[in-house]
Amino acid sequence: MPSPQNPTVGGTALDPTSLRPPIDDAEIERVERDALRDRLVGLRSQGMAMLLDVGAADYPQREPRFDVVYHLLAIPTKVASVAEVGKPRRVRLLVGVPADDTTLPSVADLWASADWAEREIFDLFGITFTGHPNLRRIQMPDDWEGAPLRKDYPLRGPAREKTPRPAFPLKSNVPAGTPPSGKVAEALQRQIAKARNQEKPS
Amino acid sequence: MEVAPGQFLLAKLDEVARWAQSSSVWPLTMGLACCAIEMMSVQAPQYDIARLGSEVFRASPRQADLMIVSGRVAQKMAPIIRRLYDQMADPKWVISMGACASSGGVFDNYAVVQGVDTVIPVDVYVPGCPPTPDGLLYAVNLIQQQIRQGGRGGILARA
Repeated sequence: MPSPQNPTVGGTALDPTSLRPPIDDAEIERVERDALRDRLVGLRSQGMAMLLDVGAADYPQREPRFDVVYHLLAIPTKVASVAEVGKPRRVRLLVGVPADDTTLPSVADLWASADWAEREIFDLFGITFTGHPNLRRIQMPDDWEGAPLRKDYPLRGPAREKTPRPAFPLKSNVPAGTPPSGKVAEALQRQIAKARNQEKPS
Repeated sequence: MEVAPGQFLLAKLDEVARWAQSSSVWPLTMGLACCAIEMMSVQAPQYDIARLGSEVFRASPRQADLMIVSGRVAQKMAPIIRRLYDQMADPKWVISMGACASSGGVFDNYAVVQGVDTVIPVDVYVPGCPPTPDGLLYAVNLIQQQIRQGGRGGILARA
């Protein structure tokens, strides 16, 4: 049975993380949403003392639509050999969140750093974290509506049209190979023609 | 003004007041974005805004005469800027420094106010991204000219 966590072939093109080879510095792992909390508890008991960041990504045409990424770091306290000194273990844990039920369990009780990171995702992606002690907006104003970093959010906000700007003739608007025009170009061409006429007799 | 034989200096009180006022335009300590770096260099010895009497960046809006909006104004910052402007005592002046403060600049998006003049009245706009420190100095010069010519700034100017 295909898991909703494993994107389809069509979805693979929309999800760069499914194509990316494992990077040496971190173990990348995908978990089901139901198993997320247990996996994170397990990783923490294995010495993942730091939750560096919690990120999110929106793939609008994929199922599940959102990815939430937990960046974990373990700094070895008891190293087996000198070679292991300064080689921390990193784990990147991905979990898919479907668009019709954007909830995840909070881990703010496990790592204090998850508090603000989860608030940021709630603010910008509209994913709610159940069990979070203080889930409110952190970057946008408190009375803001919508989740700005979702791909279907209008760039200029829901209420505003594009700001009128004067139309400048840009270089990119001119087709390649178009001869230069204008007074400066004409003066230059006259100068060139004059110089060539002077060169001819010699 | 003329000097009388008995070593008196005669002048109109109004002119003296304006001279004093224009020579001590105190800006508010408020940096919003990268333009604030140029604003700081205006205060530093190389450009030395102290030559115009404006080196005292006040930490309280109650003591400031001039607000330099130095950078893009986020939607979240706009009500705070309005509040600071309202807390400044009249007469007061506003410089909109740079493209972002004047028009939103390159940030034509949901998060940035498209021109601080939608929130507070602006006296002088400084173009540039960021403007040179000379540009800001010139803007302060223009404010001084306004004061010497009897401009009041703030609410009184629009009464």
